[in-house]
Amino acid sequence: MSGELIVLLELESASGLTRAEIVELVEYGVFAPQGVGPEDWRFPEVALALARDAARLRAAFELSAPGLALLLAYRERLAELERRIRELECRLPR
Amino acid sequence: MKYKDYYQILGVARGASDEEIKKAYRRLARKYHPDVSKAADAKERFQEVSEAYETLKDKEKRAAYDGLGSFRPGQDFRPPPDWSERFHAGGMDDLGGIDLSDLFASFGGVHARQGPRRGRDYEVAVHLGLHEAARGSEVTLDLGGGKRVHARIPKGVTDGERMRLRGKGGAGAKGGPAGDLYLDIALHPHPLFKPSGHDLYLEVPLAPWEAALGAEIRIPTLDGQVTMKVPAGSKAGQRLRLSGKGLPRPHGGAGDLYAVLSIAVPSVLSEREKQLFDELRNESKFNPRGHFG
Repeated sequence: MSGELIVLLELESASGLTRAEIVELVEYGVFAPQGVGPEDWRFPEVALALARDAARLRAAFELSAPGLALLLAYRERLAELERRIRELECRLPR
Repeated sequence: MKYKDYYQILGVARGASDEEIKKAYRRLARKYHPDVSKAADAKERFQEVSEAYETLKDKEKRAAYDGLGSFRPGQDFRPPPDWSERFHAGGMDDLGGIDLSDLFASFGGVHARQGPRRGRDYEVAVHLGLHEAARGSEVTLDLGGGKRVHARIPKGVTDGERMRLRGKGGAGAKGGPAGDLYLDIALHPHPLFKPSGHDLYLEVPLAPWEAALGAEIRIPTLDGQVTMKVPAGSKAGQRLRLSGKGLPRPHGGAGDLYAVLSIAVPSVLSEREKQLFDELRNESKFNPRGHFG
């Protein structure tokens, strides 16, 4: 992904999440945009992939924003643990 | 256009109720959602299941889908002549050249017909070898429905990375912008190098005397063989770092290559080798288990 920044409207249209959902997920710390308010927010492009995953999870399991935020936080923790396991496995001779 | 049997994909009868369709979707979503499933084809299956549900959950789209008729999955077909008019699928002139999912994503519902509509996004896995990831690569991707996209993968991508190609997804309708194409990078396992981000790990077996006395050995890197100095008294599991010999980073520089040492022992010893090991055993005061007390 490049270092491009995207605005709220683009995040909405490209992810399928509504503006209200994105605002709520920002409140729960799932997204951390630059800028002081929704009109001014700038998201890193990686937020788009996360927003698309969030939209998919919400649709598939009918999750509320707090449930979604919790799931995404756990997912991130799991990914970090898997990354660390992979790295440790790399350090082990066969 | 290739036919997809959305009912078969969800495992329900053609006459299934909305509730049955929803239930089937929930069950399959739980089974194949890429966040919960470890199956190799989970992502493709989940996309298929989602596409089927998106169409069948909407009364209007479901009626239009049923109106297409019934064919074998994968069979080439064209909608009946009056189909576009009957189901208000205006704006879709060339029905032969598009994917079934694009067809249903682009029409149906009063809201959808009112204004421009963004094209659908595609997400595909791109499998690359380690050398391709290091050098950069060009790939041609089959997005289904006869749609092919040529993409350049820059050097320095890593396993699990997701790239976005803006505007390379499905065409928009009524003047709407094209969707995006997402590439999920997956690196083929390499027989020698294990990548971790931009760093590479390589197991380097040493003969016991190389570990004890130190040695200069030749090891492979992505750019060919290099000489590495193994210090005397090296231990199994010890890591030696070769700076900048990992995968290149996209904006310059490269990760490191870690040589992880292991000690290999010959499985068959000649008489002379046995004799020398015997001599060493009798001569050496070394006790590797001294700390056991």
